[in-house]
Amino acid sequence: MAGAQYERGRGPAAGEQLQQQHVSCQVFPERVAQGNSQQGFFSSFFTSNQKCQLRLLKTLETNPYVKLLLDAMKHSGCAVNKDRHFSCEDCNGNVSGGFDASTSQIVLCQNNIHNQAHMNRVVTHELIHAFDHCRAHVDWFTNIRHLACSEVRAANLSGDCSLVNEIFRLHFGLKQHHQTCVRDRATLSILAVRNISKEVAKKAVDEVFESCFNDHEPFGRIPHNKTYARYAHRDFQNRDRYYSNI
Amino acid sequence: MADSSGWQPPRPCEAYRAEWKLCRSARHFLHHYYVHGERPACEQWRRDLASCRDWEERRSAEAQQSLCESERARVRAARKHILVWAPRQSPPPDWHLPLPQEKDE
Repeated sequence: MAGAQYERGRGPAAGEQLQQQHVSCQVFPERVAQGNSQQGFFSSFFTSNQKCQLRLLKTLETNPYVKLLLDAMKHSGCAVNKDRHFSCEDCNGNVSGGFDASTSQIVLCQNNIHNQAHMNRVVTHELIHAFDHCRAHVDWFTNIRHLACSEVRAANLSGDCSLVNEIFRLHFGLKQHHQTCVRDRATLSILAVRNISKEVAKKAVDEVFESCFNDHEPFGRIPHNKTYARYAHRDFQNRDRYYSNI
Repeated sequence: MADSSGWQPPRPCEAYRAEWKLCRSARHFLHHYYVHGERPACEQWRRDLASCRDWEERRSAEAQQSLCESERARVRAARKHILVWAPRQSPPPDWHLPLPQEKDE
């Protein structure tokens, strides 16, 4: 599983079965055991699953970050279907979600997403991974630089590293602190899904940072809040006029 | 509105005004300083707004050229980074395939 969002706490222990599972099998147990069907767990997890589904629906219908990403993915040939491309599941640890490139599905950790704002941010983060998967040959499983690039972009563009969110994490900094946050969170996300040392993860982030931090697709800018995201969506909808007149 | 050759400003003039206003806001100053460690540069949005209005009023060729050059510079700046990965020519073939029902043991 590539691109798990890492909030806090330790990453899971190592373990490999299929090439693509790596450490993620410890974080997303429902993905490994008895397939992806949720029917066997439905009665036990009804409340958290139902909340997850309702919050997801609201995000998909109203959040400007997500609406732009959905439009951009449709334009690239990857129209998103809620029931096919999203799955609310219980996860180990404090991971909030992940993008499973082997099944083209976004996992939302229903036991770790507790409010609508968090759902908005997790969906945005994972859709950025899905968008990268759709538009480029991203080697999620064997190229650590590709994974690092997508994690840098997701941390940069999803609002993960907004000033408010960093203050809530008790990370105080102002001048250029956003970049520090993006580097740190990208490194943590890599460590959550790969059994590698912190130094190797950090080195991969450093190597790709200049390029990937400045790749703002499909937003065209860093969307600091919903106003920026709405402006970005407006520009995306206007792209035909834009490119035909420059 | 387009002229007889079909050209019109890449963005509506209202969009240039909105970008200029956003750029000059205190909140944007804070966001920009938080990301880049320096104050934002908003003058180009003001020039583009003036060019857009000039073109709308007088169909000025100078205004048209100024706008085109400004927007091309923005596009170049957005694309100057070297890509880490190769772009796809078509979407992943399995994107729309149904989910596997069971995992292989």
